[in-house]
Amino acid sequence: MRTIIRLVQKDAARFLNDKRAVILTFLVPMVLIIIFGNIFGGDGGTRGKASLILVNESNSIVAKLFETKLDSSKALLPVKTYVAENGKDSIKFDEETAKEWVRTGKISAAVVMPKDFFTDTSTAIKFKFFYDPKNEIESNIIQGNMQQLIFTAIPKIIPILLQRRSISYLGKDSTSQFMKGIGNVVHQFYGESPDSFMKKWTQIDSASLFSSPKDISSEVNFMSNVIKFDSEQLVGKKIINPGLTRSVGGWAMMFLLFSLTGAATSIFEEKNEGTLKRLLCMPVTRANILWSKYIYAILLGVTQLLVMFIFSWALFGVEIFANFGNLLILIIASAAAAVSFGMLITSISTTYSQANGISTLLILVMSALGGSWFPTSFLPGWMQVISKGTLTYWSMEGFLQVLWRHSNFAGIAENVLVLLVIAFLINSYALIRFRRGII
Amino acid sequence: MLKISHVVKNFENINALNNVSLNIPKGEFFGLLGPNGAGKSTLMNIIIGYLEADSGQVYIGEEQISPQNIQLRKKIGYVPQEVSLYLELSAYKNLKIFGELYGIASKKLETKIEYVLDLVQLKDRKKDPVKDFSGGMKRRLNLAASLLHDPEIVLCDEPTVGVDPQSRNAIFDMLSELNKSGKTIVYTTHYMEEAERLCSRLAIIDHGNIIAIGTLVELINLLNRKDTIKIQKTALTQDKLSVLREMGMVNEFDFYFELMPKDGYEKNSAIFGKLEEMGIPNDFIQISRATLEDVFLNLTGRSLRD
Ligand SMILES: Nc1ncnc2c1ncn2[C@@H]1O[C@H](COP(=O)(O)OP(=O)(O)OP(=O)(O)O)[C@@H](O)[C@H]1O
Ligand SMILES: [Mg+2]
Repeated sequence: MRTIIRLVQKDAARFLNDKRAVILTFLVPMVLIIIFGNIFGGDGGTRGKASLILVNESNSIVAKLFETKLDSSKALLPVKTYVAENGKDSIKFDEETAKEWVRTGKISAAVVMPKDFFTDTSTAIKFKFFYDPKNEIESNIIQGNMQQLIFTAIPKIIPILLQRRSISYLGKDSTSQFMKGIGNVVHQFYGESPDSFMKKWTQIDSASLFSSPKDISSEVNFMSNVIKFDSEQLVGKKIINPGLTRSVGGWAMMFLLFSLTGAATSIFEEKNEGTLKRLLCMPVTRANILWSKYIYAILLGVTQLLVMFIFSWALFGVEIFANFGNLLILIIASAAAAVSFGMLITSISTTYSQANGISTLLILVMSALGGSWFPTSFLPGWMQVISKGTLTYWSMEGFLQVLWRHSNFAGIAENVLVLLVIAFLINSYALIRFRRGII
Repeated sequence: MLKISHVVKNFENINALNNVSLNIPKGEFFGLLGPNGAGKSTLMNIIIGYLEADSGQVYIGEEQISPQNIQLRKKIGYVPQEVSLYLELSAYKNLKIFGELYGIASKKLETKIEYVLDLVQLKDRKKDPVKDFSGGMKRRLNLAASLLHDPEIVLCDEPTVGVDPQSRNAIFDMLSELNKSGKTIVYTTHYMEEAERLCSRLAIIDHGNIIAIGTLVELINLLNRKDTIKIQKTALTQDKLSVLREMGMVNEFDFYFELMPKDGYEKNSAIFGKLEEMGIPNDFIQISRATLEDVFLNLTGRSLRD
């Protein structure tokens, strides 16, 4: 045991002397946490709005309504003017310039409300939407928000559109007869006079359009009444930075795999440098060396994870101390499994560069499949099955349980068990190979 | 002290060691001379237990070397052919790590480290990382690291390869000193000058076989002639060279040909007569004592450096 401790001290001393390794192990993950912490920014204010060009060529009051809605949108930032070449004047966008900007990638989308957006005779409102799907998430955000915007405005104009449609199908006379009929029915049941009802349905004026929802009678605001979502967030309500809390575990696991595979494959480095041979002609056994690498790598991994988590806590308020005991158990199990992965790579390769190549490839694949980069629910069904074969999956799920659901030990027992069993099996195999002198 | 008995080692299709037996008594400075690929390092690796022999045994004193017998390794100080140190760590830290692994108590280790650093004249550089050392300095530290635990046998695998003459002499002096203090030394090299200068007894190894063993004098005595005739290349034309070839075996070196005369030319006077006849001036001819190089040439028909 003394020998193993000395070997571990030796590896630690070597690590601390290797500035590149220290930077890769601690600094790079921290930088990434800063980036992700900001992307998923907890307070909402730090996240940028998606900008799109807005060209309003219509004189219609309805167009004005959309413009106002867009101006006050929380997710979209309408851009209406650009700075002229002389650097002073600001020029209003027209349709052509807007299209040119999208085409040349200066902006992701543009929405145009043309002259005939909504006229006295329109039976439909007419948008022109131009976009560049270079960034799918951004396009989706913009399109989704546009739709939402339109739908919240629609209840106010839909009756008019419906009436005009019916005129074009049934003719003016039949339509006004039909409307009168409805007016009478409404009068019969609700007591409202047919005239005032008709006026409400067919008039477009700024007073009714720009009134806030509270003032609108419920029968007009029907969209939100027909479909009702009774939603309640059950998990993670009080979590300060939900985005980072959910993703930090996955990133941590990826860096863990990289650094610990590096630690495990340092056996090759020692072989190349001849120090392995020197150690082996001392009173040191091969098993001593393997165990020392194992223990050293676990210690390094635990330190790395703790530093990452504490950093996420200090900067972005990721709550780690509420469930710290379980987090620590999971960190140790993850580190043990990650080292064993490194040991496996070491034991199946014959040179350092081979080990490096194989491990980089496998780690990237495992991170993608196991949920480090995006939720595994994005994957097709068969891939989700494969996903369960990755270390990343089990560790990542465990971190979610601990940090997101604040689950107790029972909630992570399965994950910890799977990780430890993998660690045990692979490590026994590596030990046998190493004892035989194959490495 | 060190007994190697019928050791055989094969790598895939290479027969690296072919039934090698050696008996090296305590206090000897034993040389193992052989060209590249002769099997010197392989034999060393088997002695230290890094490689396992296919068959045969190695004994230190009464005890047999085995992967289990790790305490026995304390009797050996092995100086690897390549610099085997943690390059990013300081000289001191390297020695500290290795000393601790040998289980030397920390106080004693400090004095030991001072002692070996003094021995290899690196005391003033002990805080510097090894990667900043010159080739010769690394080699000296490589040697120092193998002496910390006061081993009874020191195995040196070509410790002077790529070393400047100054460091080389320092290493020679140090090893002689160690040998005088009673340590057994096994020294492999393909430089016959080193073997001649240092070793009290030596073995010549080639293609995994020990082809000769004995003191320097005994080995030279294996030759019929104890001296060699060297003729400068500039003095020879093609015709003269063919005449020379009729007189015996001719080996080509960088600047001269070496003649190993055959029967009828045993006497130097006979040779000089013939060379004079051919019109080669005396200034271009040199007679020197035979060396291990000649012994090797004589035994294998090849030069050590081939
Ligand atoms: N690990 C190995 N695998 C395969 N062949 C090997 C191995 N180690 C040595 N050999 C072969 O065994 C033979 C003896 O090698 P060895 O290193 O013992 O020679 P050497 O006498 O030390 O040579 P040098 O003076 O170049 O160090 C060589 O032909 C070498 O190619
Ligand atoms: Mg060698």
